[in-house]
Amino acid sequence: MRAQIMPSKIWMLAAMLAAMLTPMSHSAVAQTDKSKPASETAPAAASGDAANRTKVLRAAADALGMVRWSDIGAGPIHLPGIDAVNTMEIRATGTVGQSADAEYHVALAYNPPAMRVEITRKAAAGGAPQHTIQTVREKYAWNESEIGAGLEPGKGTATPAIADQKERLLQLWILPYGVVKAAIAAGDKTAVSTENGATVITFPLSGSLADVSVKATLDSKSLVAKVETRSDNAALTNLVTETEYSDYADHGELLTDIKSPGHIVEKKAGRPALDIRVKMVDANNPYLVFPIPANVKAASAAGK
Amino acid sequence: MRSHGHHFLAVAAVLCLLPPALFAQIVAEPGHALVARTVNSAPTPSGATPRTPDGHPDLSGVWNALGDDLTGVPNQMANDGISIDSATSSHDVFNGAKIATFPRNTNRGLDTEKAERAASLLRRLGANRPIYKPEYWEMVKNLDENANEEDPSNNCLPSGIPRAGYPSYIGQTASYFIFIYPGQGGLIATQTMYRMVPADGRKHTPLQDLDGTYTGEAIAHWDGDTLVVDSWGFDANTWFDQIGGYFHSENMHVIERFHRDGNTLTWTATVEDPDVLLEPWTSTPRVALLNPDPHAILLESQPCSERDLGHIVTKEHH
Repeated sequence: MRAQIMPSKIWMLAAMLAAMLTPMSHSAVAQTDKSKPASETAPAAASGDAANRTKVLRAAADALGMVRWSDIGAGPIHLPGIDAVNTMEIRATGTVGQSADAEYHVALAYNPPAMRVEITRKAAAGGAPQHTIQTVREKYAWNESEIGAGLEPGKGTATPAIADQKERLLQLWILPYGVVKAAIAAGDKTAVSTENGATVITFPLSGSLADVSVKATLDSKSLVAKVETRSDNAALTNLVTETEYSDYADHGELLTDIKSPGHIVEKKAGRPALDIRVKMVDANNPYLVFPIPANVKAASAAGK
Repeated sequence: MRSHGHHFLAVAAVLCLLPPALFAQIVAEPGHALVARTVNSAPTPSGATPRTPDGHPDLSGVWNALGDDLTGVPNQMANDGISIDSATSSHDVFNGAKIATFPRNTNRGLDTEKAERAASLLRRLGANRPIYKPEYWEMVKNLDENANEEDPSNNCLPSGIPRAGYPSYIGQTASYFIFIYPGQGGLIATQTMYRMVPADGRKHTPLQDLDGTYTGEAIAHWDGDTLVVDSWGFDANTWFDQIGGYFHSENMHVIERFHRDGNTLTWTATVEDPDVLLEPWTSTPRVALLNPDPHAILLESQPCSERDLGHIVTKEHH
């Protein structure tokens, strides 16, 4: 009796999960009509594929601790789980580009999508440390002479860097949380397959990154272990990346049950870009904001 | 009442102590039985908006129900702008961003620690954040992270305005309003507050002549059918939203707007504080439901007695 009932229950559950996640859009990763290589090679989304996709993405989200609910004081209210990841701060050390012993500090948000990367490179003999702050928010990118530069008169300089917008924004979406969010947002353009026994998720990004496709490989615990990106635009070699994530743990002083990688190794266009060890992650949706300086908006409007 | 590990029992105790009238506010519609809800979205208005003899909307009554009674994480999420609209759909009220929504994979209750950590995340998920001057960004982050020690409403001090949200009771005459904010234990332990807000056309006292207080000097006027309560003269010993470490200066200026639509009351607060904010900030609208019992009253608040602060051993908090 049990054997007869369970398959139908599982099928119903899978269909329900599929309906819940498909199509899911996100303001940060708007749907696009432009087909990407990954989805072109995928068969038409049969219901079985959709159910498997839903199951795999849910497992990946659960593995990272993204799906959360709490009934404290809820009384008769029992809410479903939601993606609880928005803002996050990461502090790491390691090799950045050609610089060893660099300090790598990231503040990020997914709603709206934004990222501020602060890099302090060790001083050469007799010189001062190099310090850069590279920021992106949606379609805007700029460099800051200090955190929050250009927002108040006399408080630092914000230099527009619109040419770097895609490359910077891509860094947000190839983080494990970004992969899961973007794969869900891509709906039936996301395909799930198996390679060498590992689960692989492929999907196109959208918006300004619509010419980028992502291939993510999960480990046995459904954690994102490797992310590869490719671009239709051969000129944008810095959008061709390969990143490996390992040593997952809750790295926060204030524990959140959000898992983050402890070791990140990234190559851009085949060249080493990052090899860093994470020291601290504040995943408790901390206060991180990314207001756009007026001169950056003006430069973007002018196409500079 | 904020310490790690004590919340769940504290909340359970508080909920057990809540009067039946408060549970009645959770009834989905007047006359219907108490039912479990799977959404935290704002209630839909129903019925006509009553008016006073002078023609203004009648805001009087007991206002705490589905959307915003502070007694539970789901409603606090709604206050922070996350609307769970159905079992499959959620969005950020501030910018409309969709938020992936998943069915629960277990019907077992979470243990206290996991529930607390989830609550902390969920209550900080909304995108509607005040924009402080950059020199205060790290300070705000640290205040929130260290709220167990830094929250100025610890030790049962008043939450202040606008952190208190909308009042649970409004009394209305032609020339003044009475607002009552019952004290609460559990998730947000606060002292009972009241405000008597004149609406007789008077002007504000010059700011420099006011001694700062928790609720400031409030003066009301009507903007069409919306009641506007304009306040200044605050002390700096409060935060202006429920979470976030959102401190302010003594120069904070708060404009609250109350709009009744049938049996609902929508409240927003705009905070102006050029000393610390880059720009004014407006809260996500909170929608209260009128208590359907015409005889409903506010019962005496339980006394706030802080017993947990001395036992805090981690930074974890709501």
